[in-house]
Amino acid sequence: MSAIKALNPKAEVARAAQALAVNISAAKGLQDVLKSNLGPKGTMKMLVSGAGEIKITKDGNVLLHEMQIQHPTASLIARVATAQDDVTGDGTTSTVLLIGEILKQADIHIDEGVHPRVLTEGLEKGKQRALEILESMRTRQGNVDREVLLSVARTSLRTKVSTELADHLTEIVTDAVLAIQQPGQPIDLHMVEMMEMMHKTENDSRLVRGLVFDHGARHPDMPKRVENAYVLACNVSMEYEKSEVNSSFFYKTAEDREKLVRAEREFTDDKVRKVIALKREVCAKDPKASFVVINLKGIDPFSLDMLASEGIMALRRAKRRNMERLALACGATPVNSVDDVTADALGRAGLVYEHVLGEEKFTFVEQCSSARSVTILLKGSSKYALLQMKDAVHDGLRAVKNALDDQCVIPGGGAFEVAASRVLHELALSIPSKARLGVQTLADALLIIPKTLAANAGLDAQEAVARLLQEAQHRPLGLDLTSGEPMLAEQAGVLDNYCVKRQTINSAAVIASNLLLVDEIMRAGLSSLKG
Amino acid sequence: MDEAVFRNIEACAELSRTMRSALGPNGLNKMIINRLEKLFVTSDASTILSELEIQHPAAKILVLSAEMQQKEIGDGTNMVIVIAGTLLEKAEELLKMGLSVAEVIDGYNTAAKKALEVLEDMVVEEIKDLYDRKAVARALKPVIATKMRGYEDLLTDLVTEACVGVLPSHHVFDVDNVRVCKVPGAGIHNSTVMQGMVFRREVEGFRQRTENAKLAIFTCPFDIAATETKGTVLLKTAEELKNFSSGEERLLEENIKAIAKAGANVVVAGGKFSDLALHYLDQLGIVAVRLLSKFDLRRLCRATGATALPRMDPPTAEQLGHCDVVELTEVGDAQLVAFRQKDSRISTVLLRGATDQLLDDVERAINHAINTYKALTKDARLVPGAGASETEIATRLEVAAAQCPGLEQYAIAKFAEALRELPRFIAENAGVRGSEIITKLAAAHHETGKRNFGLDLENETIGDTVTLGYLDLFLTKSWAMRYAVNAATTVLRVDQIIMAKPAGGPKPKENKDWDNDD
Repeated sequence: MSAIKALNPKAEVARAAQALAVNISAAKGLQDVLKSNLGPKGTMKMLVSGAGEIKITKDGNVLLHEMQIQHPTASLIARVATAQDDVTGDGTTSTVLLIGEILKQADIHIDEGVHPRVLTEGLEKGKQRALEILESMRTRQGNVDREVLLSVARTSLRTKVSTELADHLTEIVTDAVLAIQQPGQPIDLHMVEMMEMMHKTENDSRLVRGLVFDHGARHPDMPKRVENAYVLACNVSMEYEKSEVNSSFFYKTAEDREKLVRAEREFTDDKVRKVIALKREVCAKDPKASFVVINLKGIDPFSLDMLASEGIMALRRAKRRNMERLALACGATPVNSVDDVTADALGRAGLVYEHVLGEEKFTFVEQCSSARSVTILLKGSSKYALLQMKDAVHDGLRAVKNALDDQCVIPGGGAFEVAASRVLHELALSIPSKARLGVQTLADALLIIPKTLAANAGLDAQEAVARLLQEAQHRPLGLDLTSGEPMLAEQAGVLDNYCVKRQTINSAAVIASNLLLVDEIMRAGLSSLKG
Repeated sequence: MDEAVFRNIEACAELSRTMRSALGPNGLNKMIINRLEKLFVTSDASTILSELEIQHPAAKILVLSAEMQQKEIGDGTNMVIVIAGTLLEKAEELLKMGLSVAEVIDGYNTAAKKALEVLEDMVVEEIKDLYDRKAVARALKPVIATKMRGYEDLLTDLVTEACVGVLPSHHVFDVDNVRVCKVPGAGIHNSTVMQGMVFRREVEGFRQRTENAKLAIFTCPFDIAATETKGTVLLKTAEELKNFSSGEERLLEENIKAIAKAGANVVVAGGKFSDLALHYLDQLGIVAVRLLSKFDLRRLCRATGATALPRMDPPTAEQLGHCDVVELTEVGDAQLVAFRQKDSRISTVLLRGATDQLLDDVERAINHAINTYKALTKDARLVPGAGASETEIATRLEVAAAQCPGLEQYAIAKFAEALRELPRFIAENAGVRGSEIITKLAAAHHETGKRNFGLDLENETIGDTVTLGYLDLFLTKSWAMRYAVNAATTVLRVDQIIMAKPAGGPKPKENKDWDNDD
């Protein structure tokens, strides 16, 4: 009987071996779920939300978020893995697999009477060594060119979506990050907007050097397509605003009222007239130019009418974040008042046009000369396809950013895991104490990644990994998933992020150690601990 | 192999078996009572699917693909479901044979690519002139025939007339420019096409007809303008009160007179006509029409070339719209306001029919045809229909499969088999022995010069589809094929379905006091 029972009779406990069994089975369970999704040949899972919405994904992060995990240990692992995603944007599935495998391997040793503490010491040693190997395997240091970025993006994307689509998205993602990159400044991925359009097929997605708004001009007589446009980004209400204090009109005759009706408009009309005056000014100098107003606030029908009769295209109620991006994309300075606005505040765009898709309207601001904010236009045949692509593109962007931040990459396709496993096995032999078992555990566990990759590709996992281990003596070799042969990962263009791998090794070893060291699980209140 | 994949395939196959019987010109109707107890009798796939409210997630993927086809082209939805379902049925056989899912998907994708190439090669005709009524009718007739057999000649003429009449010179056709107005009563044969617009409304005032109409269109109510800020009339004496009212009247009268002077003899407004305003309008003999929808207002603006005014100001000459006749007519027991005009940018098909269900079904058929016309403006290539394209693709795919070294060859061969099934379903729906006729077809396609042979169900045999006039749009077929393959491979890729507990939303409102609608 545990002491806690005396304190709280309703509490549930699992102790020592039992506690460990609970943890290990949870980790194994989670591993089983995610196993089939690893790598480019992994299969998908379909998630159906409470409202019946469909999501199809093999992105570990998405799965863990949406699966509503109940089990305490499993949800702990899931949280670590998703934290990994928050930091690095990838490697979720690998982390879960690795944690599960370390616990599975440790279980064998523990059954033989090894104390968990001894194992964790070994794990720690192994982890240090593995990180050293990771350091030594960095390639293309300080020489991360577009070619490398493309490879990194492709490797990451192929694990999320079908090969054909991944190859299509690779360039889009890479060019997007390169476009927003500013020398000496951290990359802000928020400057890449993702816009979804239910249209055509996934392979029609493209990169727009500019912005896409998900609404259109609100007046039927406004131009639908203008070229060589001056863009005014403003935050000025062009509609009648009620006064803050209680106000009312007093009049005696209908003429008086008529006058008041006009006067009321005058205030708003004035602002619109100033915009029109500006338009006339810039267009007088450049007769071929056209004028586009993008307003954060509203524009009422009267004002729209005035703008339309001047041939100005006006968008109202733009999103705040789009205004920021607009400034970067076409060089417009957002103005808060039209009183003293000059032509300097205007941005330029080569082409602004409206695209109507059924009920929805989109406005494209394109051909900006030096766009520092871009939009990835995702097209897809259905909601689930768009969602899937969006997650993938997000991860792809992160992968490219990571590579640029790290200024180095790691050969992928299981190359690191195989190399690390080899070295750790050797290390284990040189350690006289029991800690050797911990190192061995990690060495065996690391192989789960190439094994699973091979299994998902329909290859014989044992055979493939054995050959890899055999041939990877001197050079980093990854697994070619179509042929099942070892390949030179770097030459094949299969490259992983350094920081992702680092994070994976670190968090997997730490969490696995933590879980191994648990000797009692207690839960106050009513529930079951069945894993 | 995972059990889940088979269960998914089973669900999709079940759906496609259900939809199969509605395929083709002799497809059978389905009677659906949706959850609002509304009755549908139709063989139109998109309606059936949207009213059935499919729950199974895998089957829903097929439905979503079909919806996409509906959005992209507006026709060929059933083809998506049937091809995808058949592909999945065949995939099941492949998986049981021992192929891995990845191999099946690879094979299907290769086959689809090849199939689209062949389809491009199958193009037999291209409509050069979209104003050519005869050529357009040739392309639209099969579309209507699959939905409304027996009336295809009549309806094709109506739709062709309506579409060709409003095609602008730059060939960007907006489906919104062909309107359908349904009036129950009489028979389909009494349906007509009219250049201009028709609204099921009455005129507001006394004047019911005017020729050579000049339209002033207002988006606001036709009344004295009010301030946004609360206004209070400050009156001290009875005299002032009298003056105020008469001043108001005078102002309105002047305003309306100014509008009349600007040349308007028809006033259309998006809001209410006040009694006083109507009084003056009647005095001046102006027709007053109120339209409730702002979209209708915009369309009318487009049709007549008017500019909608947000305020009750007299319009300028350019802001006025023009049409030949505005009149109140009676069709059956319905009052209609018609804006007739030669060479209008909008045309209306005035449909007559015995029951609401029939009218709805005819409308759907017409919408499919209008969408097809829109697709024609994008790509006017035609391919043989009636199963000819499918059989030819299948024949060539089988050759390609035999030359393929990898395991995909089985998948490619099954893809071909699946396509062969399509003419079988069409034939079986017509009560013809399927196996017999598709073997005939297959044999014909191996002979030279007979690659356009397809089903000729009238005579229960096969024949050259080009001479028979059974042609399909290249665009419809190619998108249907793409969406179908996409749906099938997506379903195959899923190895597990994780369902969250259905969210317990609020209960649907029960309208106890409503009358029964039957």
